[in-house]
Amino acid sequence: MSLRVGIVGGGSFGRGLATAAARAGNDVTLWSRAAHSSDATPAPYRRTSALADIAATELIFVAVPSPHVRDTARALGAHLDGSHLLVHVSRGLIGDGLHTITRVLREETPVVRLGALAGPLVADALAAGTPSGAVVGSLFPEVGAAVRQAIAGETLRIYTTDDVAGVEVGSALVGMLALATGFAMGIGSGPAALAVLCTRGIAEAQRVGTRLGARERTLAGLAGFGDLTSAVAGDERPEIRLGRALAQGRSLEDAARDAGAYIEGVSIARRVARFAEQAGVDAPIAAATAAVVDGVLAPRDAMRALMARQVTPE
Amino acid sequence: MKLLPSRFLPERPLRLPRLRPYVPQPTDPPIFWFNAERDDIVREAVRRIVEQKAQSGRMELVLNDVAYHESERLERQRDAESRESLGFWRGVLRRVGRMSDAEKRETLRSITEHMVRDIAGNFDPRVYAFATKALPKLLTGLMNPSQLRTAMLQSQPRTLDGLLITEGAIPKLRHLATRGTLVFVPTHSSNLDSIVLGYALMREGLPPVSYGAGKNLFTNPLISFFMHNLGAYRLDRRIKAGLYKDALKAYSTVLLERGYHSLFFPGGTRSRSGMIEQHLKLGLAGTALEAFARNQSRGIDRPLWFVPTTINYALVLEAESLIEDHLKEQGKARYIVEDDEFSSVERWLDFLRKLSVLSSACVIRFGEPMDPFANPVDDEGRSLAPDGRVIAARSYVERRGEAVVDAARDAAYTTLLGEAIAERFLRETVIMSTQLVAHVLFRAIVSATPGIDLFGRMRHRGDVSVPIAKLCAEVGEARDALLALEREGAVRGSPALHRDPPEQLVERALQFWTGYHSAPVATHTGAEVVCEDPALLHFYGNRLVPFATRIAGEAHLGAAREIARMGQRA
Repeated sequence: MSLRVGIVGGGSFGRGLATAAARAGNDVTLWSRAAHSSDATPAPYRRTSALADIAATELIFVAVPSPHVRDTARALGAHLDGSHLLVHVSRGLIGDGLHTITRVLREETPVVRLGALAGPLVADALAAGTPSGAVVGSLFPEVGAAVRQAIAGETLRIYTTDDVAGVEVGSALVGMLALATGFAMGIGSGPAALAVLCTRGIAEAQRVGTRLGARERTLAGLAGFGDLTSAVAGDERPEIRLGRALAQGRSLEDAARDAGAYIEGVSIARRVARFAEQAGVDAPIAAATAAVVDGVLAPRDAMRALMARQVTPE
Repeated sequence: MKLLPSRFLPERPLRLPRLRPYVPQPTDPPIFWFNAERDDIVREAVRRIVEQKAQSGRMELVLNDVAYHESERLERQRDAESRESLGFWRGVLRRVGRMSDAEKRETLRSITEHMVRDIAGNFDPRVYAFATKALPKLLTGLMNPSQLRTAMLQSQPRTLDGLLITEGAIPKLRHLATRGTLVFVPTHSSNLDSIVLGYALMREGLPPVSYGAGKNLFTNPLISFFMHNLGAYRLDRRIKAGLYKDALKAYSTVLLERGYHSLFFPGGTRSRSGMIEQHLKLGLAGTALEAFARNQSRGIDRPLWFVPTTINYALVLEAESLIEDHLKEQGKARYIVEDDEFSSVERWLDFLRKLSVLSSACVIRFGEPMDPFANPVDDEGRSLAPDGRVIAARSYVERRGEAVVDAARDAAYTTLLGEAIAERFLRETVIMSTQLVAHVLFRAIVSATPGIDLFGRMRHRGDVSVPIAKLCAEVGEARDALLALEREGAVRGSPALHRDPPEQLVERALQFWTGYHSAPVATHTGAEVVCEDPALLHFYGNRLVPFATRIAGEAHLGAAREIARMGQRA
């Protein structure tokens, strides 16, 4: 029996999800703000610009950048009730308190069966059906099962966990770590330096994450380590492009324009650094990334400062 | 029916004999039907368990498990119960491997039925009528024997009414009680809680509730008689077998399905530390989710609401044993404290007499009811979405348009409900003057003893004192900050906290403590107040842990942070 899948957000990831879900034989409706008259490409799914059309679906993916999640959720929430399953794919944590996006979804919609989808999955792989994997965090086993039914297949492995916070924190912090890795690549760091940065980066994400209710193990999984590995291996991640551009001395505005998509990693570095300081958590990579983004520190000096830190047991 | 207990402490609570069964009136609360339905309820609970074990092919496993755990318990217990039943359990262990399916089923049925019957309570409308009319007067009289005669003649016993303040969503709850099922989920600080709450419900015209009470509470024959006959069912925490937990859950689910208003302490046991409970597992309260889903799946649209309730005492009957237990176990809950103040008649009388000269010793606050999915509800009990739209609570148990029972889904809802109730506990907590003054004094101890741990601080009995003027200023400052938090909806202050100047709050707190606790908590000597008992100051002050850093001035922020960290560890 096919599933009625709704997708909110017409960006590349939203379109990728829609294509994958339609390929799996589901009945798919994609909502985006803009009308699609100009877009003549035929798609295997229904398109709409009326959020009310999404109410008829069972599983809904929210695929909008994290700064727009609250407004979108509020508008969408007016059409939903307790029977819907709502899963977001946004990379990000909200505000200085680093609240998770599922929390925002709960505040703005009546839906309780929530989940977060994260991992090394990128829009192109979804659309093209090349081998990939992802993890769904949800307290509700039926949410993971529905996501599997919607998009999993021979080339896409969907893992599940009940550590929702772990998946969301992992996804957001990998954005920041990818940015830092981009700098490191841009200043010509070798493979070993990148390995140290990434490994210690995940350790830092675990320290911050446990303060936010995440389990360490989840950050060592697809939502954390797996996602970062994919970025470093060259999945054309915008955060890496931005990091490289900044390393070449370009201004933040300039570099961000070139990198294309909205970049969560920039704002989150500052907020994680501030949060860590208040919570008494050691987060040197977040602090250095924030300093570079704000132009307080040159990328090369940041790397030197990180390397000069006192070494402790791993 | 046995009329007299066979031993000094009866194994089963007493019931009064009745010649003609009570015929409930249409206006009576659901629990008045209980005795007529009891056999049916027991049968249904037993049927479900046996059915489920048989279908999953686990009868032999379950029989083995229960026989093993019960034999082990009875071998340890070595009492009359052991002599009576140990042979039975050993027999089951020996025979279970050779039993036919029919024999297994029958053995499982009879064991389960025995368990559920032991759990099931009683409701005697005569006892309820007596309790409604006479108990308040009797309690008032006990507190002040010289007034016993006048108290019994008065229509409104003033003392008890003055002692207990009730506030919150009472009119709304009264209305909802006639439209669906109320599940009260209060904070738990004392064994008096169920009695005080029961009295508050009675006084406010709210319906009597059914609730589970630990078997150890039934050791006091008088309390046992009232609890048993007013709808309490018994939880025997000594029984470790999984089947017993299933029996409790099935019994509770059937009660809730049939619309019996209920009471659960979601924290499980009394708060040892005095802190507001924050890690709620909900336990039996989770059966309300299953009851709701089961009703919906059978087309019965019976709404069910949770009522987060806080019971706030200026003086806690068992404070000394609770905090001692907390310090000893470092926060780990010990289930049965057999020998605490609750079982001592002298301590009860001391406590009641102490209260008789004071007023407003306890505030019960009924929070806004919410549906099982933590949504707010309107005056008619309909669930509300964040945008204020009415939505169907039923939709939360629906998949593809059908209401279904799904244990994994309901476990997730229960987890989220626990978080929502914990959050509401903070906001509905009413801070009492003793708690505020204790918090300020304990903070002074922390400031005066830097760099040592909690246990080191407990040894500083009478070492720290605060000039009375300074104490009053700090209490005033903390009070003002707390009332600012109240305006944000983060917490509540007691009437005294709103009304009295700091000097009077301090005086009042010292007056409450003096004479009840076996050693002084704090004493006022000359121009100073001496912190006599750090453990009790810690206990009473702990109620403010979640607000510690927000009510501390610049000078006390360090100590407040340290107190907040103690709260995270506990």
